[in-house]
Amino acid sequence: MAELTYREAVAAGIAQEMERDERVLFFGEDVAAAGGVFKATVGLLEKFGPRRVRDCPISEQAIVGAAMGAAMTGLRPIAEIMFSDFLAVCWDMVANEIAKARYMTNGQLQLPLVIRTANGAGSRFGAQHSQAVENWAMAVPGLKVVAPATPADVKGLIAAAVRDPDPVVVFEQKSLYATKGEVPDGEHVDELGKAKVLRQGKDCTIVALALMVHRALAAAEVLEKEHGISCTVVDVRSLVPLDTRTILSEVAKTGRLVTVEENPRLCGWGAEIASIVADECFWDLDGPVLRITTPHVPLPSADQLEDNTIPSVARIVREVREKID
Amino acid sequence: MDVVMPQLGETVAEGTVTRWYKKAGDAVKADEPLFDVETDKVSTEIPAPASGVLAEILVAEGVTAKVGAKLAVIRESGAAAQAGAGTQAPTKAVATTAPPSAHRPPVAPAVSGERLSPVVRRLIAEHRLDSGTISGTGRDGRITRDDVLTYLSQGGGARAVAPSGAAAASAPSGAATETLLLNNVRRRTAEHMAKSWSAVPHVLQVVEADFHRVEQARREEGESWKRREGFGLTYLPFIVRAVSIALGKFPRLNASFAGDRLELHRRINIGIAVDLNFEGLVVPVLKDVPSKSLPQIAREGNELVQRARSNRLKPDDLTEGTYTITNNGAFGTVITAPIINQPQVAILSTDSIRKRPIVVESAGGEEIVIRPVGMLAQCFDHRAVDGAYAAAFLREVRMLIETRDWAQALQA
Repeated sequence: MAELTYREAVAAGIAQEMERDERVLFFGEDVAAAGGVFKATVGLLEKFGPRRVRDCPISEQAIVGAAMGAAMTGLRPIAEIMFSDFLAVCWDMVANEIAKARYMTNGQLQLPLVIRTANGAGSRFGAQHSQAVENWAMAVPGLKVVAPATPADVKGLIAAAVRDPDPVVVFEQKSLYATKGEVPDGEHVDELGKAKVLRQGKDCTIVALALMVHRALAAAEVLEKEHGISCTVVDVRSLVPLDTRTILSEVAKTGRLVTVEENPRLCGWGAEIASIVADECFWDLDGPVLRITTPHVPLPSADQLEDNTIPSVARIVREVREKID
Repeated sequence: MDVVMPQLGETVAEGTVTRWYKKAGDAVKADEPLFDVETDKVSTEIPAPASGVLAEILVAEGVTAKVGAKLAVIRESGAAAQAGAGTQAPTKAVATTAPPSAHRPPVAPAVSGERLSPVVRRLIAEHRLDSGTISGTGRDGRITRDDVLTYLSQGGGARAVAPSGAAAASAPSGAATETLLLNNVRRRTAEHMAKSWSAVPHVLQVVEADFHRVEQARREEGESWKRREGFGLTYLPFIVRAVSIALGKFPRLNASFAGDRLELHRRINIGIAVDLNFEGLVVPVLKDVPSKSLPQIAREGNELVQRARSNRLKPDDLTEGTYTITNNGAFGTVITAPIINQPQVAILSTDSIRKRPIVVESAGGEEIVIRPVGMLAQCFDHRAVDGAYAAAFLREVRMLIETRDWAQALQA
C-alpha cells in the first residue's frame, strides 16, 4: 500500500492502463504539457510521449468526437473534459451518438471509451464550473457512470472503465484531488456497479457519493458520539450500473434511508434511489426517506454562499437528527 | 367464482394457505395478489382469478388443502370491480382488521388516526399484535420498528410467526442477547431436523476414498469444460453419479421407512443440500439420476444450485427426493455426521478432499504416493437397514470413485 493523493491516483490509473494496453491513449485540454489544470495527469506526456498523450484545442465537441472515432476504429481512448459543466456542449455527441452506437448498429460498433471529468463544487468556481452533473449522465441509457470518493477507488474504477467494452463517464470531484488515501500496490482494477458499505449502524442508512461520502462519514461519527444515532454509510460509487442489492439490503436493515447528494434537488440521483427503495423496500421502511441535496439554484461563487449551498457535515447531522426518531 | 388451491407443480398434491391479502367483503381485482400458498419450502403468491368482491374465505391462514379444494368465493360484479380498480396491490402485507380503503393497502390493524410506518404495520400484521399494547418511544410517542422488535423479544404477542419471504429481523433485547426471528426456511428446517433426530436411530459410517481418478478427469477436462459450459467442474457430479450407480445395487438405501415396512423407490432422485449464504438450507432434487450422463448431472446439478441460491426454485424441484447428499467440504471439514432427511433412510456427507500421503499396493510392492483423499460419511436409519448393508454400499461408492474412468465418462 502506498499513500497517494486522489490526483496522483488518477494519473496512476491512466498510466497503469496505458502500460498494459498500447491501444489506450489520453487527450484533453491542457492535459499533456501542463499535466492538467488540476494537475491530475502530471508525468503522462513524459512517460508515454506525444502520440498517446495529447493536448487538444478548446473544443469539447471535438474531444468527445475524437474519442468516439478512436474507439470505433479499435483504440481505447480516455478523453478529459476539464469541467463537467462543459459536458453540456458535448451532449449531442455523448447522449445521442456515443451512448447509442452499440444499440443502433446492432452491436457492430462498440465504443470502449472513457470520459473523465472534474465535477462538483467547493472551489469557488461559480455557477458554470462547479456543478455536480453526474445525474445528467445517469439519465442517458447507454452510458455507465461512476463517481469515486477515494484515491484507491479512482484508480481502480478508471482501470475498470478503460477495460469495459462500453462508454463510461468518470466523475472526479474537484475538492477531492488533494485528499490522500492508501492505494494498493501493483495492478489495481475495481469493478463497475458495486457499492461499498463503509460503516454499519442500526438506526439509519446514509447513501452518499463522491465528496458527500466523506461528509456523510464525518456526520455519522458525530451522530453516533453526540446524539446516539448509529448510521450505516454506503458509498454508491457507481450510478450505472447501480448496486441496488447492497442499497436495498442496507436500508432494510435499518428501516431508514438518507441520501446525501451534491446534485441540485430536482432529479438528483438520490431521487432515483428513493424511488427504488419505495418500490422494492417499502414494507421495511420505518419512516420517510430523507434527501439532503444542494438546493435547486445556480451555485454561487462567494465562499460562504457556496459553503451554505452544498450539504455540509453540520447540515447532515442536523437534518438526520430532525428527521430520525 | 370459486377460488381453488392451484396445482403448483406436477408432484405437489397439497398446499398451505399462509396468508390472505384480502378479507371477506373486500373488493378484489383480477390478477392482484390474493393469497400465498406454501408447499414445502417454496412460497408462491397467487393472483385473484377474477374481479369482484371476496364473498367468503373457506380455508383460513395456516390450513393445508388439497389441490383443487375450494378456498374462497369471489362474487363477480362489475360495480365492485370498478370500486377496486384504484386499490394498490400489496406485496408483503397481511390483511387482518384494516378497513377496506380504495387508496391504502390493507396492512395493519391501526387504531384510527394512529400513524404507523410501513415496517411497523408489516410487523404488527405478521405477528398479529395490537398496536395499542406496544409503547412507542419515537417522536410524539410513535411506535418504531425497534419498539415492535423489543416488544416481541420480551415475549409480547402470540407465537411469533414469521411469514415466508420475510427476512429474519434482529432486535436488541436488553444488553446481552439479540433476538433473531426465524424465517420460513429456518423454521421448516428446525422442525424437520428435530423430528428426524428424535425419531430415527442414526448410525454413522465413514470410508476414506482416493479421488485421484476424479482429480485426473478434472485436471484434463476442467478448463475446456469451464470455457464451454460457463461454470466450474466440482467433485459433486462425480459423487452423485457414483452414488446413483451404487444405489441401484443397494435399493434398501433408496427407500422410505414407513413403520412396518420399507418402501423401495424405483426412481433414484438425489437431493443436494444447498446452503443459502448461512441464511438457511434447501435441498433441491436431481431426478432420475441413473438415466443421466455425467455431463448432464453436472449441468442440471449446477442449474439447481444456482436456482436455489437465487431463490428461483419451483415447488417440483424440492419433492420426490429418495436420497440426500450434503457437502461442507468447502469449509475444510473432515467428517460431518448429517441428520437424515425423513422419510429417506440415509444421507451422505462429502467433506474436504485434500492431498495426503497414502500407501498404494501394487505388483511392484508398496509405495507412498500423494493422492487427493476425502471421507464419505453416511448416516443411515438403523430401523431400515443394518451396518453391514450400509457399509457394503459405501464400499461400492468408494470403489466406483476410485476405479471408474471418469475422464471418459465426461465425454458421454
